[in-house]
Amino acid sequence: MSDELKRPGGPIASRPLHFIWIADCSGSMSGEKIHALNYAVQEALPGMRDAAKDHPESKVLVRAIKFSDGAQWILAQPTPVDDYQWTDLHADGVTDMGKALTMVAEQLKVPPMDARGLPPVLVLLSDGEPTDNFAAGLKALMDQPWGQKAIRIAIAIGGDANLEPLQKFIGHTERKPLQANNPDALVKAIKWSSTVVMKSSAASRPTSDSSSSPTSTVPIPEPPVLNDGGDVW
Amino acid sequence: MSQLLKIGQMIFTDSSDTPCEVEKFLGDGGQGEVYQARLGNSHVAIKWYFPHYLKEDPELRERLEMAIKRGAPTDRFLWPQDMVSATGTATFGYVMPLREPRFKSLNDMMAGRIHPTFRAVATAGFELAHSYSQLHAKGLCYKDISFGNVFLDPQNGEIRVCDNDNVDVNGAIGAIGGTQGFMAPEVERQEAAPTTQTDLHSLAVLLFYMFMMHHPLSGKRELEIHCFDMAAKRKLYGTHPLFIFDPNDNGNPPVPGEQDNPLTFWPLYPQALRNLFTRAFTDGLHDPNKRIREDEWKKMMVRLRDSIIYCGSCGSENFYDGEALKASGSQLRACWNCGKEPKLPPRIRIGGEVIMLNHDAMLYPHHLEQDKKYDFARPLATVNRNPNDGRWGLKNLGNDKWTATYPDGRIVDVESGKTVPIPTGIKINFGKAEGEIRLG
Repeated sequence: MSDELKRPGGPIASRPLHFIWIADCSGSMSGEKIHALNYAVQEALPGMRDAAKDHPESKVLVRAIKFSDGAQWILAQPTPVDDYQWTDLHADGVTDMGKALTMVAEQLKVPPMDARGLPPVLVLLSDGEPTDNFAAGLKALMDQPWGQKAIRIAIAIGGDANLEPLQKFIGHTERKPLQANNPDALVKAIKWSSTVVMKSSAASRPTSDSSSSPTSTVPIPEPPVLNDGGDVW
Repeated sequence: MSQLLKIGQMIFTDSSDTPCEVEKFLGDGGQGEVYQARLGNSHVAIKWYFPHYLKEDPELRERLEMAIKRGAPTDRFLWPQDMVSATGTATFGYVMPLREPRFKSLNDMMAGRIHPTFRAVATAGFELAHSYSQLHAKGLCYKDISFGNVFLDPQNGEIRVCDNDNVDVNGAIGAIGGTQGFMAPEVERQEAAPTTQTDLHSLAVLLFYMFMMHHPLSGKRELEIHCFDMAAKRKLYGTHPLFIFDPNDNGNPPVPGEQDNPLTFWPLYPQALRNLFTRAFTDGLHDPNKRIREDEWKKMMVRLRDSIIYCGSCGSENFYDGEALKASGSQLRACWNCGKEPKLPPRIRIGGEVIMLNHDAMLYPHHLEQDKKYDFARPLATVNRNPNDGRWGLKNLGNDKWTATYPDGRIVDVESGKTVPIPTGIKINFGKAEGEIRLG
């Protein structure tokens, strides 16, 4: 008797879980920072695939958008995490973060988004200060129901990043931007976002603290301690 | 990618300061990382916690020390054996047995990456009910039963339960509330903390997942939800739970085309199993005292295993359902795979139980000795076929002599190691139980 004949039926029903990297590629990111970012995401992908495997109730779909002079999808197609490959980014230009958020908002409309899904995870990575109309971009994002429901994580790369727009992107005060002051901290922050946060969207495990929070779509465990290596960009 | 311990690093057990060498990184999660290590001459697993997790779960060390002191409820638990620590760090870990590679996560089963047989699933169900009952008998509560912390051997249904650092004394207040969807409605609504009673709900959900490949409360109402976040889950599983097959309320049925698994599996099983799940997710949903206790699940899982029949055309496993057979005028349900009507094998009635005597059937002390319920350690009888005339018989594998009485009144002894042919109507006295064979 072949494997397929042992029992009828298929895998359990799953919901799409969209995961979007929103990456700053402005000139200030050039050099070590952009290399560290490329390295950190590559390093995090195997763990992300393993984490997705542990959650058959979700279908994790990944894509990425970059911003500098304007914004551009690196891979616009939501791609199953097992097939997803990171394309190394290069840095040059200004910081059109608002444009990137507007473009993400377009993609969070239904359609192209499915009407049913798990909370999307948006991870914004930036080292600087938006140079365009950030407020308009954020408004466009938050006008979308999926934008509001998204788990929005912000990672500040280096000590110079303006935390204010990142905090606004997160949308509530109890979660702070993750401050990655060296390449090792960036790896930890990106890894945490793509595993622990992603898993929280797939299967939430409320604790007595998190479950009373009105602002959180799902409870998210504490992030790791990041900067034990100091500021060494 | 390991972050906490280095390969080759020495850590030390708290009980005897024995060195333990970190050998290999195995995996990580939200709480910490798991490594393979060498302790004396054996290989063990080490779970080592992230420093930030210790702040979230201040009772962790106390719970682990309690678990280590009390010892594993059964060998199916990958139970904490000793605490370990390292010089120069405030965090710690614990030692547990390594999981053998033959055990696969229930996540793999849910994702369709492994395909256990119905027999293996029923065995796993039995082992789970038994394991949690042993844990509960020690006054402990698991708190987070879900398919993320159970492993099974798809070949035979043997299980292993991991993540035993959740385990606490029944009724203790702590950080672990469980996983949404598995939590009992009253825990989901934050009206109660996890207890053995709420574990029983989680166990019923887990078993339903294993048999139906679906959540018992995810019907039409789930499809009406756009974003399946914490609030939506709280409503579906906590404040407005309704079983997808509730016989008295058809408000949340599985939707064809979207939720086909429960529609496919539900009719295949004997009515008795469907009744048990119905009780678990109707009365048991709202009244913790009406939840299905482990012993009922154990009895049902064994009965289910004994009721498996193989389709003569395609070999697929189907189920004998005495009640349905009577109601349908002896018409068996068509094979789920090939659509042909399976032929009933010989079967034996012992007490109130009917056991299918398939070509691979075994009878255990559980079946033949009333005081040895659930003893499946060594078979006492097996079905075999006479190589000369092709007749089926029952072979005595035990030490005690049986007495067989033929329908014509003839009585023969069946010594240990001998086989008695099994024509219809033959009665066999096994010493502590008597069985009657039926064919056709």
